[in-house]
Amino acid sequence: SHIYKNHDMTKTLRGKTEQLLRVDDHDFTMRPAFGGPAIPVGVDVQVESLDSISEVDMDFTMTLYLRHYWRDERLSFPSTTNKSMTFDGRLVKKIWVPDVFFVHSKRSFIHDTTTDNIMLRVFPDGHVLYSMRITVTAMCNMDFSRFPLDSQTCSLELESYAYTDEDLMLYWKNGNESLKTDEKISLSQFLIQKFHTTSRLAFYSSTGWYNRLYINFTLRRHIFFFLLQTYFPATLMVMLSWVSFWIDRRAVPARVSLGITTVLTMSTIITGVNASMPRVSYIKAVDIYLWVSFVFVFLSVLEYAAVNYLTTVQERKERKLRERFPCTCGISHSKTMMLDGNYSESDANSLAGYPRNQMVPEEEKQEKMVVHLAMSNESNSSRKRGLKGHVGLRIIQNTHAIDKYSRLIFPGTYIFFNLIYWSVFS
Amino acid sequence: SKREIKMRKLDSTKVRPLKSEQLLRIEDHDFALRPGFGGSPIPVGIDVQVESIDSISEVDMDFTMTLYLRHYWKDERLSFRSNKNKSMTFDGRLIKKIWVPDVFFVHSKRSFIHDTTVENVMLRVYPDGNVLFSLRITVSAMCFMDFSRFPLDTQNCSLELESYAYNEDDLMLYWKHGNKSLSTDEHISLSQFFIEEFSASSGLAFYSSTGWYNRLFINFALRRHIFFFVLQSYFPAMLMVMLSWVSFWIDRRAVPARVSLGITTVLTMSTIMTGVSASMPQVSYIKAVDVYLWISFLFVFLSVIEYAAVNYLTTIEERKQLKKRGKASGMYSIDAVQAMAFDGCFHDTDVDMDLTGFSDRCEENETRAGAASGSNVDTPRLKRKRSLKGNVGRIILQNNHVIDTYSRIIFPSVYIVFNFFYWGLYI
Repeated sequence: SHIYKNHDMTKTLRGKTEQLLRVDDHDFTMRPAFGGPAIPVGVDVQVESLDSISEVDMDFTMTLYLRHYWRDERLSFPSTTNKSMTFDGRLVKKIWVPDVFFVHSKRSFIHDTTTDNIMLRVFPDGHVLYSMRITVTAMCNMDFSRFPLDSQTCSLELESYAYTDEDLMLYWKNGNESLKTDEKISLSQFLIQKFHTTSRLAFYSSTGWYNRLYINFTLRRHIFFFLLQTYFPATLMVMLSWVSFWIDRRAVPARVSLGITTVLTMSTIITGVNASMPRVSYIKAVDIYLWVSFVFVFLSVLEYAAVNYLTTVQERKERKLRERFPCTCGISHSKTMMLDGNYSESDANSLAGYPRNQMVPEEEKQEKMVVHLAMSNESNSSRKRGLKGHVGLRIIQNTHAIDKYSRLIFPGTYIFFNLIYWSVFS
Repeated sequence: SKREIKMRKLDSTKVRPLKSEQLLRIEDHDFALRPGFGGSPIPVGIDVQVESIDSISEVDMDFTMTLYLRHYWKDERLSFRSNKNKSMTFDGRLIKKIWVPDVFFVHSKRSFIHDTTVENVMLRVYPDGNVLFSLRITVSAMCFMDFSRFPLDTQNCSLELESYAYNEDDLMLYWKHGNKSLSTDEHISLSQFFIEEFSASSGLAFYSSTGWYNRLFINFALRRHIFFFVLQSYFPAMLMVMLSWVSFWIDRRAVPARVSLGITTVLTMSTIMTGVSASMPQVSYIKAVDVYLWISFLFVFLSVIEYAAVNYLTTIEERKQLKKRGKASGMYSIDAVQAMAFDGCFHDTDVDMDLTGFSDRCEENETRAGAASGSNVDTPRLKRKRSLKGNVGRIILQNNHVIDTYSRIIFPSVYIVFNFFYWGLYI
């Protein structure tokens, strides 16, 4: 009680730190050595993680420990043990700290759970170590012309906001070893090739030259996901479309629906790839592959349209030729065709779903055969038969040849395209 | 103890002013009042450096921009003696103690001053009282977009700066270097747009409650890159239309083939159309890409209808021919194909054939058939019926075959004409 009365109640007892560091004696809104030479501030970074890389937004998110080292003589204090004093974030508001910011950052924050993740360590001679934990989302210009076989180079840039290089010199404290990464830093879709540091000067026309530090890293994309998701299905669709060449050309609905469904599936794959990509104005490597595959599938549909059309045309011609000569009426049309060795369209109709011709019993067949042979004893019969035979052979040869050639040409060209594609882009 | 004696001598109730405050004599003035309070309006120059345009959103009709905003004004209360004429640079903590202009972004949705590692704010005071105040801001602002020519469109957006409290009697906002006040980082680019021009302009805005205010505009025009949409929408639509034409070359007897071809192309067109409108706002007018896709859809739809017509007419004629043949020769029970084969006349189920051959053949066979049946009474009737049937059959077969033949030419040519019109109109 005696002691308390002697103290002046209006005197606010200063906090011990302030007494120790004499914070109130100085104006810490001004930088150390104000008006004098530039103060050198060393920077040290430890990258904790690369959280995400976004192609659509063209940015990346990184969490890092950012450490500043400088000397402020106003903070020096007498000490016998030369041991440093460690403070938390509340002292930061009272002293001067460098105002480093991340150029081209979109969003950033200092973690504040459970308290502000800030550390201040003051050494007796006035050296300060100021460390904080930050998550920053920064822009990265990405070039997708070789997507998904691409490598992206991104960089995080640090600069002082207010102080030009005459007031504050920012530098990497340990040169290239200033940048450390946690050992388990990894991304699911990328392989992080290297981290390295550089520094440069940046000029602003209104405000002057500033020191800028760069954290550069290169990311190489893992192709496996896209192989499984895009390339493999596209290749399978193209191979499926080749199945059509091996199916009988009389099976019209089968071949048409096979072709059209593979076109539809390719279209779906193409739409799926572009859903998660930015809308760039140039063609990407994956686009090249998908569109060339689409063209192959499309051509297989056109090939069958050609086969079908030529078959129809030739049958018509052949019938016209046959009419000039004694007709083979009385004979079932289909049987005529079979005797000639040509395929008949009634067989084709049956494959298309038309009612099949009634099967002619064997004895009728014999009769008709006799009739046919009898009639062919006429003078021009041999000429007709020869002509018809040739025409028929030519018809089968023509359409059958398109399919036969396609069975070799399509796979051969596609394999050739694949060889070129993978050697160019890998 | 020596220290304690020192502290006792000083009056602890006197709060010693900080050096900057001493230098700038902050406590001497009331910085809640603007410079030149009660007098003429204070001119505040503005300078902007655009760091990036982060995104343009069609659905929200806004854009996000990051910029360095610099203010220049003169506050004589901040002048200080200096023999070197060098400026003093301060960080954000001094801002709270002096007067700064209260510029805001009109029509902005969200904005913030970056604050890592400290508030990205700079204050630079010159000995004569000139102040440079710089901020780094990200702002999302409204941009009214017109999509009637999407995706061949150009959008004009602008960011507007205005003082919130001071009208033009108190604060005059102007571009510090005229049109050169607006500078952009060299690598500013967007993936989907080409930034045509940045320009600065100024105007006056009137609020009925509060008066006239100076407003500064940052205008820029964005031209959309068409390539992505060509690859994503136009090209697939074109290919689907071409696929639907394949149907005209396929034999008209292949009913399931032609129908499934037509209907699957309709389905794919529908999928393409849904995909385009997924990322677009739901506007009340038709967009250029809608015009193209809907007309392509119409073409594909018509190819299905065309085949339905071909098939229907084919069926009708088969029925007619069956009916006629049935009356004439009384061969109801015979399978149509067999009957035709017996007659030697080609049935509609057979391939279309040359028409001269058709009629000659029919006449030949009719004669033979008539001879086979041994009925001479029917001959004149047969002859008349035959010629009639021959003619009618010829006309019908001609028509059906002709619809396909004409379609093979009409559909592609009309589509090509449409493309000429479309691209000529919009580009």
